[in-house]
Order: sequence, then C-alpha cells, then structure tokens
Amino acid sequence: MVRWQRSLWLFFLPSFGLLALVLLWPLAYAVYLSFFDYYLGAPERTFVGLGNYAGLLGEARLWNSIGTTLIIALGSVGLEFLVGMGLALALYRLGTGARVFSTLLFLPHVVTPVVATLFLKWMLAANWGLVDATLLTFDIEPPDWLGSPFWAKVSVILADAWIFTPLVMMVLYAALQGLDTAQIEAAKIDGASDWRIFRHIIVPALIPAIIFTISVRLMDVFRFFDVIYVLTGGGPGTATETITMYTYQLGFRMLEVGKASALGVITLIVVAALLFTINRTLTRIYRRGDQ
Amino acid sequence: MSNHALTLGGRRNGYGLFLALCLVTFVNLVPLLWAVLTSLKHPADAFTIPPTIVFEPTLDYHRKVWFENDFFRFLTNSLIVSLSTVAISVPIGSFAAYALSRIPRRSAGPILSVLFTIRMFPHMLLAIPFFVMGTFLNMIDSYPLLILALVAINQPFTVWLMHGFFLDIPRDLDEAAAIDGCNAWQAFRIVILPLARPGMTVAALFSLLLSYNEFLFALVLTGAKTKTLPVAIASFGGEDVSAWSLSAAGAIGIMLPIVVIMVILQRHLVRGLTAGAVKG
Repeated sequence: MVRWQRSLWLFFLPSFGLLALVLLWPLAYAVYLSFFDYYLGAPERTFVGLGNYAGLLGEARLWNSIGTTLIIALGSVGLEFLVGMGLALALYRLGTGARVFSTLLFLPHVVTPVVATLFLKWMLAANWGLVDATLLTFDIEPPDWLGSPFWAKVSVILADAWIFTPLVMMVLYAALQGLDTAQIEAAKIDGASDWRIFRHIIVPALIPAIIFTISVRLMDVFRFFDVIYVLTGGGPGTATETITMYTYQLGFRMLEVGKASALGVITLIVVAALLFTINRTLTRIYRRGDQ
Repeated sequence: MSNHALTLGGRRNGYGLFLALCLVTFVNLVPLLWAVLTSLKHPADAFTIPPTIVFEPTLDYHRKVWFENDFFRFLTNSLIVSLSTVAISVPIGSFAAYALSRIPRRSAGPILSVLFTIRMFPHMLLAIPFFVMGTFLNMIDSYPLLILALVAINQPFTVWLMHGFFLDIPRDLDEAAAIDGCNAWQAFRIVILPLARPGMTVAALFSLLLSYNEFLFALVLTGAKTKTLPVAIASFGGEDVSAWSLSAAGAIGIMLPIVVIMVILQRHLVRGLTAGAVKG
C-alpha cells in the first residue's frame, strides 16, 4: 500500500464536484420544480404537490406517448439487434476484408445524427425523394412515408436502425473476435452443426455483450430526440410523439416547466424499471442456458 | 486473426457472403451518396422522376453555404464548444479514473454503478432545469453553460472508459514512484499519465464526437450568437425543396471532418465502444 493512498480522494474532487454541481443539483431542482404549477415567465409559481403527476397520469396524450415510445423502442432495438447480429456474424465468418466492410458499414453511425436524419428525410420526401422518385418511375404508388401515422412510425424506426445498427454490429463483432476458437474447432471436429455451434457456444459467450448493447440501446431510445425532432417533429399529429418529444413540447414550447419536469421524472422511473427488468430477464435466460 | 477457424460453411459460401455484404454495404451508404450527389446538383437536376444520376456537377452550393450563409460562424461556435469540452472533460475525467483504479475494489464498484446510473438519465430531464437556471442567470446563448452541460453528461462515460485503461497500468509503478519520493500528484503526473496516453486519446475522441454531434442541449441553450452546426443545419430549409442543394452542401460539410477523423482513428473508436461490453 502506497503511503499517500489516503490523499487519493482529492483526485475525485474536480470530476465529482462538477457532476454534483452540474448534474445532481439541476436534477434535484427539476424534482423540486415538478411539484409546482409553474409557467416560465410567470411571476408566481404555486405549489401543487403531486398535482402535476396526477394530471399527467390522467392524460390520454401521456399514455399515447408512452405507447409510441414502446413501439418505436421495441421496433428499432429489435431490428438493430437482428441485423447487427447478422452483420457481425457475416463479418466474423468473412475474415479477410472484414475491416473494409466494417469501416464502411460503420459510417452512418459517426455522421452527426441530425445530418444523418436530414439525409433520410430527403430520401423519403414525397414525390422528389429518391425512394418515391424511384418507385414512381416504375409506376408504383409510394406510401406517404412521413405523413401517415403508420408509415411515420416505420420511418422513425428505420431511421433509428440506420444510425444505430452499426453500433450494435461493432460491439458484437468485437465480442466475437474475443471468442475462444479452440472450443469451436473442437465442436466442429465432433460434428456439431453451424446452428448448434451458434446456439451453444457463440451465444452464451456473447451474453455480456448482448446485455450491454440491448440495455444501452434501450436507454438511448428513451431519450432519443434529434432523429424524431428532425424527421417528423412528433407528427403527423402526435403519431410519433415519444415521451421525450412530449416533454420537449411541454417544457420548451408551452413553457410549462413544472409539468415538464414531472414528466421527466416519470420517464426516469420508467427507464429504470425497464432496465432492471431486462437485465434480470436476460441474466435468468443466460443461467438457464448454462445448465 | 482467426479466419481459418471459422470457415464454418466452406469456400463456396464465401463468395455468396461476400456479395451479400457488398449489397448491404451499398444500400447502407445510399443515403450518404445521394446527399453528396444532391449537394453537387442544380435544383433542376435534383427534382426529377426518374432520379438523375448523370449531371453536370457544381460546387456553387458548397461555396454559398459557407461564405454567404454564416456557416463559418457556426463552425467556429462548434469548435469552441467541442474543443473546450474535450479540454475540461478529459483531464478531470482522468484524475477521477486514476483514483478509481487505485482504491480497493469494494469501494470502486458502487462508484462505477452510480456513474452508470447517471449515464442513463434522460437528457430531457436535465435540459429543463438547465434552461430554467440559464434563464435566471442570463446565461442562455453563451458558451459556458453549454460547455458545462456537455462536460457533465460526458463525464460518467469518460471516467468509466479511462478507468479500464488505468487498471491495466501496474500498481507497482505507483509504489516505485512513492519510494523514489514522489507524492501522489507527482506519481500521477510523471509516471502514470504518460502510460495512459492511448486511453486519453480514446476518451478525447469520444468527447469530441459527442460534443460536436450533440443536439438537444445545443438547441435549448444556444441562440443566434452561439448556435452550433447541428442546430444551424436543422433549422435550415429542411422543408423547402428548393433549398435542398444548399442544405445538402451544408450537411456534407458538417459530416466530412467527422468521417475523416473516424476513418483515421477507427481502431481507437472501436476500443472505446467495446470498453463497457467486453469488460462486462
């Protein structure tokens, strides 16, 4: 043990001090604000206790936004996981040249999300966008990508998947490269099929990476803002309005900061509950697979 | 590399796989390529059915967006914000990460969990109090508030990431430095820090990416004076089709530096992405 071990806490000070000041204090302030009926700019604020929460929970718009968030979250994370896993396995199996492919496939993820979404918006624009123009060339009537409630959700899911599948692919690919190949060789010599190798050797070894990607992606989808803001603005109507979009509308458009803070706190609770459940479920599946 | 170990299918499958990957990669890049083409087109070529692929390219719109539309000012704002974020975030993050790697595991564990929890906070929940406080302190549309916000949301990941790198540096070095008469600061500064350079590169790269690309805080905390590139491009003629060539040129300009940096530093990027996953 080094003699100055005790003075190490000084090293924590700048970082944790800043976190306390810039993250925890505002967070506490938001929780405090959530108990007030407070319109930013109004001279007074009135204490309403849990009134904001009660009001929100009785609102159809809130439940609609939670439903939309879940549809978009499950749709995009599911799609990202399936495609990402497929691509990671393909890269792993390809071996030579995988580096070039992984760099090219990864590109959409590094592009500024706002910019990437604009690219997609131009592709999906009615009539003149590349997708519509191509379909119209072959006399196929394209759907209203951003204007119909159903297709707008599909477009948002596709946009999210386009931007984040590369991340899932990269993490799983890196995990695959860390696999113990001797075990796979042995299984092959014993005549195991590709599927059995995948199911019983590759998947169990990837569980930590899988839990990691799914949790990180899910918590990101819940706070995911730029893509929807640029692509649909939450529309048409409130068809793609997620909890985050609704909070933005409340806080920054209607300036009802008390109610918006309450909604933020609700989001935090939902995300925490969801993450907890997912981690537990996946860990349980993992343990069962072991036996 | 373990190529031969995994030719699960065999040679014949290899070509099919290669072609499939080529196809997927191409489809994946179509939106990027199309935006590049649009930025080089006159509007007359941009709105056609069927889409025009052969046309007379022009760099006019690239020139216009940067020299006649204030994009240089937005770039300056973006650079001020993201470089300051890196300059604050990486040093203080590395102090904390170093200490975290040197205290006993049973105290470090809970701290890491807290950091992970903080990382999952919905940013919208922080944006509201920031906006309210910023309004009171009259700090909306100034750099410091945005920079502080970005450093803070970045900090948990930075510490988490660097912690892994410091763990790989043997403690014996600290002890040797102590015996040679270094105090904690000197040991860190002279002995440990030079060895942690790869970790600092990765952390800096991620802080840079995050702060250059960040949208929500930039949107609500900046104004006409301090607008960053993502905010500028989002409010710039997304609706009006006749502005496409111009916005596409702007968008490509924003994208290029990031793409270049990323292709050069891909190795570091992958290391950062997988730091959480592989170490569990």
